[in-house]
Amino acid sequence: MEPQLAEQLVSSLKGAGIDFVTFLPETRLSQILPLIRDDPDIELVPVSSEAEAVTIAAGAVLGGKQAAVYMESTGIFVSSYSLLIAGKSLGVPILLVVAFLGGFEDQRQSFLYANIGKHSIPVLNGLGIENRVIEDGANLESKVKEAVRTANAQRSPIALLFAGEFSS
Amino acid sequence: MIRYECLEALAPMITDQLFTTSQSGQRIEWNHLTDHPGNLLVGNMGCAIGVGVGLALALPNRKVIALESDGSVLLSLFNLPTLANLDPPNMTVIVFDNGVYSGTRISYPTATSGKTDLTLMAKGAGIQHAVTVSDLEEFKQEATTALNNDHASFIVCKVDETLVHRETPRPTTDLAENKYTFVRYLERTEGKAIPFVGRG
Repeated sequence: MEPQLAEQLVSSLKGAGIDFVTFLPETRLSQILPLIRDDPDIELVPVSSEAEAVTIAAGAVLGGKQAAVYMESTGIFVSSYSLLIAGKSLGVPILLVVAFLGGFEDQRQSFLYANIGKHSIPVLNGLGIENRVIEDGANLESKVKEAVRTANAQRSPIALLFAGEFSS
Repeated sequence: MIRYECLEALAPMITDQLFTTSQSGQRIEWNHLTDHPGNLLVGNMGCAIGVGVGLALALPNRKVIALESDGSVLLSLFNLPTLANLDPPNMTVIVFDNGVYSGTRISYPTATSGKTDLTLMAKGAGIQHAVTVSDLEEFKQEATTALNNDHASFIVCKVDETLVHRETPRPTTDLAENKYTFVRYLERTEGKAIPFVGRG
């Protein structure tokens, strides 16, 4: 990912009101981490599993934060129980910022990732979590704002799956 | 020592603390003993510590207590190193360890009935104040300290299995009603709106 795309993504998260990010690091979007870490307006919380990235974010939202979870798409599978309980059953809006491995738009597509990519969106759909694939920076600010607004309105997690230029 | 008498001792200590619970008997017993609007009865295993940590980070001025069970903690062991490293000073975890999955109704043993010691695991994860208590006076002392200290605490209560929760009236509020009661309580006591609620 080009550095300016990372800056644009972080700026878009801030513009949408995100002030709390839990994460497990991965490869494709990792350039956003130093930017978030150095930003005094966003609390960055490292975790050991995407399952707790979701529950911690849910608690922060109930406590007044606007939270995002940054994860690799494998994290969708790891956190699906937390998404169902803390996200859907409790009804807590969380923005899922997902590095989308293995989809058509993944520029690092490989046999390692293809199965993950094939099943990521069906699992999100099965959980009732609406999602969009984002391939470039066009209208990124608007897309992130729309996702957060929709998450709040639905009282549900919403997923943005980053691929294309974000996976280069 | 049984869980119900520990919770009976804890209930009068409540002022403005926030409580999260996992799914097990303590959710039912705690709800029966208190109608505290700061109770968030997360009705499934493995989520109470995480939600509690999120609350503790978002509201550093409020003490947060996660009421947990051995089975639930074993299901979500990733919480231990995260709790240790984040070390929110306003977070306490109380684990009622009866050594069985009592919800199975066949009292199938958990790993703590075997070789596993949750207090040692918590210490190994890096939680500095991790203790085991085995009698009610010890529990009262640790709970009182935990509610007033300024570091993360992990208290494992070795309790006998009981069936008190099966004879106790179950909560009648669903998760949505509980969430809004909890959030409105936070709005009143924190003097601020919780953003996601928004306007209709």
